[in-house]
Amino acid sequence: MNSFTLSRRNFFTGALGVGALLTTTACGSTGGNATSKITWSTWGTPEEGQRFKKFNSHFKADNPTIAATLQMVPSYSDYHSKLLTQLTSGTAPDVFYVGDDYIGKFVSAGVLMDLTPVVEGADAKVKLDDFNPALFGAGRTDTGIFALPNDCNPDVFWFDKKALAAAGITENPAELAAAGNWTIETFLAMCAKLAAKGLTGAMFWNYWSTHWSWVAANGGQVFNAAGKFVLPEDPKSVAALHSLADAFTNKSFTVADTLPDGSGADSLFVSHKAGFYVQGRYGIATAEQSGTKDDYDIAPWPTVSGKPGSSGVAASYLVINAKTKAPAAAKTFVGEFLCAKGQTLRLADGGNAVPSVKGADSVVLEGNYPAHAKSFLEMTNTGFEDFATEAKMPGLSSDVSTAMLTMYQGKTSASDTIAAVAKLMEKAV
Amino acid sequence: MTAVLAKTGLPGAPVVERAEAAWRKRDRWWGLVFVSPQLAGMCAFVLLPFAVGLVLAFAQWDGLTEITWVGLANFQAQLADPVFLRSILNTLGLALITVPVGLALSLLIAVALDRLRGRTGYLLLYFAPVMTSSIAISLVWQQILRADGPLNQAFFRVFGIPGPDWLGDPHFVLLAVSIVTIWSSLGLNVIIFLAGLQGINSNVLEAARVDGAGSLRTMMAIRLPLLSPVVFFSTVVAVISSFQTFDVVFVLTKNGGPENSARTIVYQIYDEGFRHFQFGMASAASIILLVLTLVVTAVQLGLQRRFVHYES
Repeated sequence: MNSFTLSRRNFFTGALGVGALLTTTACGSTGGNATSKITWSTWGTPEEGQRFKKFNSHFKADNPTIAATLQMVPSYSDYHSKLLTQLTSGTAPDVFYVGDDYIGKFVSAGVLMDLTPVVEGADAKVKLDDFNPALFGAGRTDTGIFALPNDCNPDVFWFDKKALAAAGITENPAELAAAGNWTIETFLAMCAKLAAKGLTGAMFWNYWSTHWSWVAANGGQVFNAAGKFVLPEDPKSVAALHSLADAFTNKSFTVADTLPDGSGADSLFVSHKAGFYVQGRYGIATAEQSGTKDDYDIAPWPTVSGKPGSSGVAASYLVINAKTKAPAAAKTFVGEFLCAKGQTLRLADGGNAVPSVKGADSVVLEGNYPAHAKSFLEMTNTGFEDFATEAKMPGLSSDVSTAMLTMYQGKTSASDTIAAVAKLMEKAV
Repeated sequence: MTAVLAKTGLPGAPVVERAEAAWRKRDRWWGLVFVSPQLAGMCAFVLLPFAVGLVLAFAQWDGLTEITWVGLANFQAQLADPVFLRSILNTLGLALITVPVGLALSLLIAVALDRLRGRTGYLLLYFAPVMTSSIAISLVWQQILRADGPLNQAFFRVFGIPGPDWLGDPHFVLLAVSIVTIWSSLGLNVIIFLAGLQGINSNVLEAARVDGAGSLRTMMAIRLPLLSPVVFFSTVVAVISSFQTFDVVFVLTKNGGPENSARTIVYQIYDEGFRHFQFGMASAASIILLVLTLVVTAVQLGLQRRFVHYES
């Protein structure tokens, strides 16, 4: 019997040969067509995660040479700190979401790629003109377009017909709005009637859209064209914040964030204990929970004149990491994600937001729910994004809301709150 | 033959130099090899971050753009910020509640368990929170402490009046954080005290009994003084741990509590760094916390001469 001795040299030679063979085989498996790998990240609920995974599957089918891996962060509040750590350490995803209260900072820091080529040119999947211009916010500067809105959520007034009827209110806010008679006076009177019946008047989330939409609805100004915080110098704005403080302290309005877990805003709304609930298209899910979704409809923000005005539209942005190693694949992904087809895929079937581009509006009107769903589109067209001055300073928007909360809770006066917010703005600048 | 020489000898005696044995030299190198992963870890995860933090404390940096040197401005800004000063007060308040109450409770339990049969089961129960993730603990307590939660429901059943809004009322939030902190660290202190109690020489206790000392007298005159080094050690560790409270505050209050009523220094560091992207300010706050911890620990070390009895 012949014995075989494997010398060290033979072992290494053999190992190199096997390695070379495996490498050749691996290359051969793609047919010489290398796959670009990109990662992208966002925040969201598990349900939203399913929609993103569905998008990923479609994207893979349409672009077999690009492998897109999703990194999902459950909490919005933790998302940007993780992103910052990743950017600092050079491990950030190729494509990622940024919230509207942080986008200004990321743009001014120069860590994002200019997306102008993504939305220009004959081959562009989505064109710049397709986007609703009101949604760019701080993502667009004089030097380029560094962030494109994924989709948006105009803060609409969801109202409960049953709760309104219980308070003896016979008028329909959506019909009043359509007739140009949806005034702040009427709205406050409705809230007072609801409160008198032991019901909650209106529930608002404590964030920039609530404060600034109320100021805008009352004809006031928050920032001037140069980005200066001018609210304290505008009598209409000051009066608006006083009336807002009064409505919260007399219990006509409630801060949704601070309601106890057992009887949160969603619970109050689906159990017909609140008249109005100010939030985005995701309110469809809340209305469906009640089992009587036809009791709910939407109206725009009331105004002094009753004619439609401008109100806050929350948005998130999709950006490309300036240091991506796969710029072409990242651009393809962004184009596919934001084009009408991509947005329809993500937002159809009771999705939680309104598309940011033309051509996908039908998802909002599908199923004819809510009855005045068209308001979502109209309010998006006339709305405004978080102001760039506020969005440029991380945490500023949140600090302003913290200051506002003490006013909503009746712990500080409107005048003191305006002074405190002005100080925050000044410090940020 | 090695060239390394060692100096030995008695006072006054001529210095005798002898070569170091080869095996000893080899052992020393192997020793270095074995401790090198630990040294590398310490350099990478303790010394380097500390050095970076120290440098950043004198700079302005948002994590994304260039670093700008600002000298002592970060320290001045922090010490002039009422929110930061509030966080210092909250941190000290938390230590003042959790350390004495936590240690006293642990000592009581340890004494009770010292002579109890089947104490292993109790120890496991007390130690379970120590092994559980503080985030999980905080999430459970968040539900317990809700205004309409089980604690207040029980309170209402017993006293007939509604309990406080533990996490929503600025007067109660720090107390709520203290309760959770004490509960979660109880088991570790119980184990340490129990070990200390069982380490006391039984001859001493026997002698005290023969001399007619009762249980209380034995406790106050014998066991507590002999346990004082353990109590001292636990106090130092508990104070440092209390100064580092973050996760419970983060989960229970989300934003430091209403009116910053539970904002601790470490929460402030997180807030400045990862919410406001102000790493210079965060680093300055870290250095202030380090100095505060060193001062308090130095005071404790100074006091030990008066209160701690070391058995010779």
